Amino acid sequence: MDQPLSFEKTLTELLPRLRRFAHALSRNPADADDLTQAAVERALQSKLQWQPGTRLDSWLYRIMRNLWIDTVRSRSRREKVEAPPEEAERVGEDPRESMDAALDLKRVMAAMQRLPDEQREIVALILVEGFGYREVSEMLDLPIGTVSSRLVRGRTALLAMVGER
Amino acid sequence: MTVDEKFFAWLDGELTGDEATEVEARVAADPELARLAEQHRAMHAQLKGAFDPIVEAPVPDQLRAAVRRREAEFVDLAAVRQVRESRKIWPRLPQWAAMAATLAIGIVVGTMVPPRTSAPVEVQGGKIYAATALGSALDTQLASAPAGAVRIGMTFRDQAGAVCRSFTQAEANGLACRDDGRWQVRGLFAAPEGQASAYRMAAGMDPNLAALVDSTMAGEPFDTGQEKSAKERGWR
Repeated sequence: MDQPLSFEKTLTELLPRLRRFAHALSRNPADADDLTQAAVERALQSKLQWQPGTRLDSWLYRIMRNLWIDTVRSRSRREKVEAPPEEAERVGEDPRESMDAALDLKRVMAAMQRLPDEQREIVALILVEGFGYREVSEMLDLPIGTVSSRLVRGRTALLAMVGER
Repeated sequence: MTVDEKFFAWLDGELTGDEATEVEARVAADPELARLAEQHRAMHAQLKGAFDPIVEAPVPDQLRAAVRRREAEFVDLAAVRQVRESRKIWPRLPQWAAMAATLAIGIVVGTMVPPRTSAPVEVQGGKIYAATALGSALDTQLASAPAGAVRIGMTFRDQAGAVCRSFTQAEANGLACRDDGRWQVRGLFAAPEGQASAYRMAAGMDPNLAALVDSTMAGEPFDTGQEKSAKERGWR
């Protein structure tokens, strides 16, 4: 069997896209790069689980998404114990204040952060990464109707936060 | 799909044919809906505008280095796996497993050699050779066409170039290699007590035999075509 492109080489080529996805999921760029690093390490460790002939990008996105979910869950458990988030703080960061300007990355990331996790991942995969509904439904093991309805809710909330009126 | 979902699916280019035409007409006829489409297109563009520069930006060295480091650290496990799968055996067992093979011969042979004249092996000049049903099975049977009590497993060459074949039958399984026109038994392992042969065959190769095969084989096992032509050449 010949390997057209080595696993590592393909992975290296996909790094920029994986970083973009990590930024769409994470709270800040530092977290995003930590997440990308963790996903790369995990992918290299589980290399043998990837079925050659299937899409490497979908597989990598799934790895990153699962790691992110794990982080988010353990963080929310921790925060529940330590300090419940103040509703007032959240209102204070309303990114709508500067919506007239071209939104920089920081502001868009802040808006994404205010989406529920299950909407954020779908907005990130479809609107930021450009995957189709069907691809995302397969990647996340969700019915396509669930993907579609979460996307509607996510993008509607985003528009209210960052969009024009 | 709700009316909303259909509208957004259309916006994302997910609809085709009549469905797309229908939503398009609806949007064209409804200024409110047309405005919503515009707002969402603009929002989508803002998202892309914020996140897309990351793809163009240089990847931090740290991240690139992580991939390179791993690349250097890891042997190509895929290649190892491929060889293992093609041999259909377990990973190499420790040396003692192969040594146990030698011991097992003595034990099994004690129960299999004459007085039974139909014994599958015979001893000559300190060597054990396949005889009767086992000998003829090794001579004539192909792995793809099992017949009778003996089943042939793999055929391959040993390091000295002799053709070897693994076999399984009710009482024992083992490995025999061509030696001066006969099948010399290199290893013979008793079937585990109380296990039906059909069950054993289904469970895969005896790990002792697998270890012996692994240490004997040079290169890859024969495929069906190679096995057939080796038979036609008299296993030379």
